[in-house]
Amino acid sequence: MGKRSNSARFFEILPGATSWGIIILLILLAVFNPVACAICIIVFDFYWIIRSLYLTTLLVMAYHKLSQQKNKDWLNQCQGLNKDWRKFYHLVIFPVYQEGLAILKPSLQALADTNYPKENTIVVVAFEERNPQAKENSRILEENFKKLFRGYLSTFHPDGLPGEARTKGANATWAAKAAKEFILKEKIPLEDVIASCFDADTCVEKEYFGCLTYHFMTTADPHQASYQPMPVYNNNIWYAPSFARLVELSSSFCQLIESMRLEKFVTFSSHSMSFKTLVDIDYWPVDMVSDDSVVYWKAFLHYQGKYRVIPLYITVSMDVAYGDNFIKTISMQYKQKRRWAWGVENFPFLVNGFLKGSEIPFIVKIKRAYHLFEGHITWAVWAVIIILIAPLPVLFGGKIFQQMSIGYNFPHITGMLLNFSIVASLIWAALSWSILPARPKDVPWYKNIILVAEWVIVPFIIIIIGSTPAIDAQTRLMLAKYMEFYPTEKHRRGIISKNIDK
Amino acid sequence: MFTGQRIRALLYYLSVSTFIIGLPLILTFALGLKFNQKTFKLTPTGLISIRTQPEGASIYLDGKLLNDKTPATLHELIPGTYNLRLELEGRFIWLGQAQVFPRQVTLLGKIILFPLRPHIKQISKENLGAFWMDEERKTIYFILDGQSSIFRSDLEGLRPEKIAQFIPISPRPIKWKFSNDRQKILYFNQRQIGATLFNAQNPSADDSFVIDYHLGRINDVFWHSDNYHIIVVSNKNIAVLEASPASQVIELVALNSAESGAYYEPGQDTLYFNDWQRAEDGNTYNNLYRLDLNPKASIFQELKKLRANGKTQ
Repeated sequence: MGKRSNSARFFEILPGATSWGIIILLILLAVFNPVACAICIIVFDFYWIIRSLYLTTLLVMAYHKLSQQKNKDWLNQCQGLNKDWRKFYHLVIFPVYQEGLAILKPSLQALADTNYPKENTIVVVAFEERNPQAKENSRILEENFKKLFRGYLSTFHPDGLPGEARTKGANATWAAKAAKEFILKEKIPLEDVIASCFDADTCVEKEYFGCLTYHFMTTADPHQASYQPMPVYNNNIWYAPSFARLVELSSSFCQLIESMRLEKFVTFSSHSMSFKTLVDIDYWPVDMVSDDSVVYWKAFLHYQGKYRVIPLYITVSMDVAYGDNFIKTISMQYKQKRRWAWGVENFPFLVNGFLKGSEIPFIVKIKRAYHLFEGHITWAVWAVIIILIAPLPVLFGGKIFQQMSIGYNFPHITGMLLNFSIVASLIWAALSWSILPARPKDVPWYKNIILVAEWVIVPFIIIIIGSTPAIDAQTRLMLAKYMEFYPTEKHRRGIISKNIDK
Repeated sequence: MFTGQRIRALLYYLSVSTFIIGLPLILTFALGLKFNQKTFKLTPTGLISIRTQPEGASIYLDGKLLNDKTPATLHELIPGTYNLRLELEGRFIWLGQAQVFPRQVTLLGKIILFPLRPHIKQISKENLGAFWMDEERKTIYFILDGQSSIFRSDLEGLRPEKIAQFIPISPRPIKWKFSNDRQKILYFNQRQIGATLFNAQNPSADDSFVIDYHLGRINDVFWHSDNYHIIVVSNKNIAVLEASPASQVIELVALNSAESGAYYEPGQDTLYFNDWQRAEDGNTYNNLYRLDLNPKASIFQELKKLRANGKTQ
């Protein structure tokens, strides 16, 4: 991490300062002016309910699309386009840190099982050189998979390169550069290569590359777009504890919702894009943790705002992160969400990109910066306001407040408003059940019931990881305590494997 | 996709509109404000919250029957005084007034609508002389008129059993008091103290005795926590005696006041009482005292003045 300019620091401080400012202001209001605080909470609660209902409707719409396109024969659709789809090559990069063979083999097997021609597929398994198991694992994987694809590379990213931090983006960039050499050697035009950067535990569906190719061929300016599949956490979801399962299901749903809000849609986790564009924007960031979203903003700035994310209504399946026991699971989930919340670093990155002079229209700059800023601030304060601050006016207001109309009406109104959230929860519970893969034979039947009933623990989850990871991340950024990459364990049918945490 | 985005845009604007329209309505309601359509101004109002026992009473506000039944909250009331009438079938009507203040809630939360026909159940079946309740053990003790037997039953008057025979005293006892272990009962008038042991298997007058008290006129008597000693407060002194026929009476404190109030705290074996004393300045001062009767105390009796006036000791 190099030294930040004053303006960069200002925009790093701004989100955390705003979130803390809102929280502290509301607490002070609760103490010194409970009526004003109660009004703020009613306004926020009302806003939150309308927002929840709106987003839940979007979720239903997105889910409907996903269901519609679930069993589509995408390769056949490509053939129907009367264009040469066979000229497109797929480069798949798996950045690996400590994941073992138990995680990597199924991911590569899923690639091998896709129906896209393997002679048009190039795979790079990108190991970290500092992982002592890397060489041995690469040897075993090569034995199994090397012959299946047009190209299969194992790369070993050296530690401590100048300007780099220990991030997934640095490893992926190293791998992409090696892939470029291979592609040029094979005399494949860069513009015919579509790159996908997958988390090591990502298992794609059979039709994934057909779907991706179809969208690439039918999208206007396909090089000025990223392609985002819908992440689900089905690899081990039947075996994960309720807490972790619900959190990951919620994450999938949030991604489905985002896919409906195209003007805000940003790449997340496993995603695809034109390899030429990737080369043009100088690959992923090598010193930022949230490389998956920053790469989108890099392209957005590079193309002067004329860059977007196309949702692919096809799923890629990953692992639910959970530990051996409840506390460890909470801890892992907390750290994972904090890392996602670290995406707040995109805000200073974007605003500074705007300030460096670009031809992006001012209104677009304001909108995109606001969306990013508002999203992170809301994330950091919503659970705090609804759960912790909402009771304070009654607590600090005492009898005088309770004898006022607003003091009397306040608990009734907030209670009534929040009852609407039950409607949203019921819909989420129903969808969660339908999005699941088939129950494995060794899982008892009553787990079906648990999977729906467990949604009653959502308030408990909200208390633990509703807002706190976002506050934590924003505070770290505010105080220049920059986060680095760290691994989290992932379990798959009793196998524990170190994994990058997203 | 285009259609999806159009529907989404429609939903978005619908949500924004709902927020913009709904928020002022919610806030004015919460703040107790009412929009006056004639003056186009917001008028401060108050509300009345009514809770009754039992619930479900009809509410008449200034003579007008409302749709709500109790418990209910009457919103958007112009500040002023309102006549309220609460009616529930088979219950006395509740009539009252409520003052409504701007942006305030008037709470009427302690209204009991008593039944028109009180529910009375006869518990004893014979001519009752006196009775005592033991709430802790959900037991009724009673004596029948003209008899010298004590009976015990449950709170419904069922399963009465004779548990003791006592020696009558004359005039009739002022009070009856159970020992803390509920194994004995004492009774007294101004000159005599009687006590009897409960023995449900074989109630007999042999378990009873009466002591004549000669040191003064008895005001009150208490059981010590050992269920054996009896503390007597008379118009002249405080004395202690054993619950046995040949007990020796020990005078602990001589009193100036003939009508000293006394309260015995059995948990600590402490007697609180008041008495007056003449101070050196010639004036008399009435003080509250505490007499420790706990046998664990270094001295069995320890007298402490609780409300000092600086003149007496």
